[in-house]
Amino acid sequence: MRLAIYSGLLLLGLASVQSADAASIYAGEAKAAAVCSQCHGIRMPSADAPFPPLAGRDQEYLKTALKQYRDKTRKSDIMNAIAGSLSDDDINNIASYYAKLKP
Amino acid sequence: MNLTKKRLSQSALMPQGHKFRLIRQAAQLSFIGLAAIALPFGAQAASDTTKNMHQLYEDNCASCHGSDHGGFIAPGLNSESLKGRSPTALRSLIMTGSFDTLMPPFYGRLSDDDIRGLVKHLQTTPKQANPSWTIDDIKASIKVYVKDESTLPAKPTYQVNSMDDVIGVAARGKYGRGSGSKAVFINSITHKQIGEIPTGTAAHIIDYNPANPRWAYVKTDTAEIFKVDLYSMQAVRSVKTGFNGPGLGVSRDGKYIMAGSYVPHNAVILNADTLEPLKTFELEGVDPDGKMVSSDSGMIIGSPMDDIFAIALENAGQVWVVDLKEGFPVTKIEKVGRHLHDAFLTHGGSKLMVAAYDDNIVTAIDLKDRKIIKKLDAGCVPHVGGGAAVEVDGRTLGFGTNFGDCDKTVVSVWDLDKMEVVKQVPVAGGTESPAAHANAPYVAVDIISKDRRARTIQLIDKKTLEVVKTLDVGGHAYFPEYSADGKFLYVSAGYNGDEVVVYDSNSLEKVASVPMESPAGIFSHGRVRYMTRGLSPDEIKGAK
Repeated sequence: MRLAIYSGLLLLGLASVQSADAASIYAGEAKAAAVCSQCHGIRMPSADAPFPPLAGRDQEYLKTALKQYRDKTRKSDIMNAIAGSLSDDDINNIASYYAKLKP
Repeated sequence: MNLTKKRLSQSALMPQGHKFRLIRQAAQLSFIGLAAIALPFGAQAASDTTKNMHQLYEDNCASCHGSDHGGFIAPGLNSESLKGRSPTALRSLIMTGSFDTLMPPFYGRLSDDDIRGLVKHLQTTPKQANPSWTIDDIKASIKVYVKDESTLPAKPTYQVNSMDDVIGVAARGKYGRGSGSKAVFINSITHKQIGEIPTGTAAHIIDYNPANPRWAYVKTDTAEIFKVDLYSMQAVRSVKTGFNGPGLGVSRDGKYIMAGSYVPHNAVILNADTLEPLKTFELEGVDPDGKMVSSDSGMIIGSPMDDIFAIALENAGQVWVVDLKEGFPVTKIEKVGRHLHDAFLTHGGSKLMVAAYDDNIVTAIDLKDRKIIKKLDAGCVPHVGGGAAVEVDGRTLGFGTNFGDCDKTVVSVWDLDKMEVVKQVPVAGGTESPAAHANAPYVAVDIISKDRRARTIQLIDKKTLEVVKTLDVGGHAYFPEYSADGKFLYVSAGYNGDEVVVYDSNSLEKVASVPMESPAGIFSHGRVRYMTRGLSPDEIKGAK
């Protein structure tokens, strides 16, 4: 599974000569499915959930918010814990994935 | 018919369970009395906490984990099953939910104090005795939403060529309850939603009335049954038949419904029109190992062959055949297998194929002679779902899914005329439900292994009996179902997928997506015509 993701990334990297901060929505999809979607859903969170939707949100906003949660400059027990595990690449990928989704 | 998942924790109450149940009832009554007296004073801190925690459990957890704490479609949560588990780990699991399962995150829905209290409550509460839910309780639970059914429209209020083109999806809702929990009905020609019926808790089974195309019956995980008017897309009545349990069947004349429960261990025959209970059955018997046990209800099925219901007693390993006549007499078929669950019909409804989890077999039963024909090898923990059977080159082949995650994962193919294993087709993982249609070239099975494979559906070619294609549906893809004309394959991208995805049956190109919260079982109205998915409607005509 992991191999598939990595080789997917590799292919993507080869296919288009990317700059260092170019985000992969495919890696973002995998990370979002594993880390975010349980609460925030893919397109929409549950109608009964107290979590905000992420699909279609501004990419820069998502990046900033995730980094603030990670650095604990924005406080939330659960988000500080979850974002704490994300790398810069993860954050870029997730933000670009959710930003491109239609809610 | 199409049951989801196995019960992860099993009970085997001994005969003295009855006495225990009565004592418990009495204890409950006096407890309620005490609480009622004590409440105004607000000083009963300890018992109030227990009571509150119990209520929190009932309101948030019980529909999946079992009203008796013994597990249902999710593991049992009691002092025994949670022994030695770290309270901190349990607390964070409740907060964040469990990825790759239906367990949702309760952060923000329950306060931290409540979550801590629940963990403590669960780790100190033993599995509860089987609570009672009598015929009087069932009768009293009937709710009428449309008093005068003669006011309902005479034909569908929407455009549809045939009611068989209606396909129903049991949308669980993320939390197994709330506004996301509903039965969603779709036109399987246009792939547009026609209507939805809110069900309060997770919809699990949808069955259709074979005699009158306007009626559908939706059963929830908390054992309510809604009688639904498909013409006006509204519920007209509901009844609560127990606390948990998906068993539901409709008789061939459309006059009776039979419903079975895990909690309590009973089944009931209802008038399909009024939902009035007519007779209840205590499910107990001698299991294949000679032990008297009280039993969960497994599948319940009406047969187009006769005025009967067949019901599997999961723990007792028996199949009971109930005749729909005065007194509803029962014929008991014993030693069918260990831990029975679901089943499907073949040969005009005269033969029943019943899955036995713990024996890794599917037992063929002759419903005419009411005896076992043969026990066939299945695979690792057979779960046949709604079943599938197809006619190929003069043979009737049955397809059996197995949801165990063993070294070797297969779908078994049986020759249903000779009752022998034809092939065990290797597939990518555990499977839960097969879909077939007389006009579609592939039998679809859902891979449910708990990793990336869960996103996929595999297609087995009917003729070569080989897997020829794997579809990445997304979410946790399960419960494939063909449209009544066989042209489209519907699949639930459940858990976090939150959509039903529609494929062209031949090209396997994605043609549509219907959004909903945590979709699970999919039930085509066409099922009333072809009895078992994959068979031609002629199969039923031959039976009559």
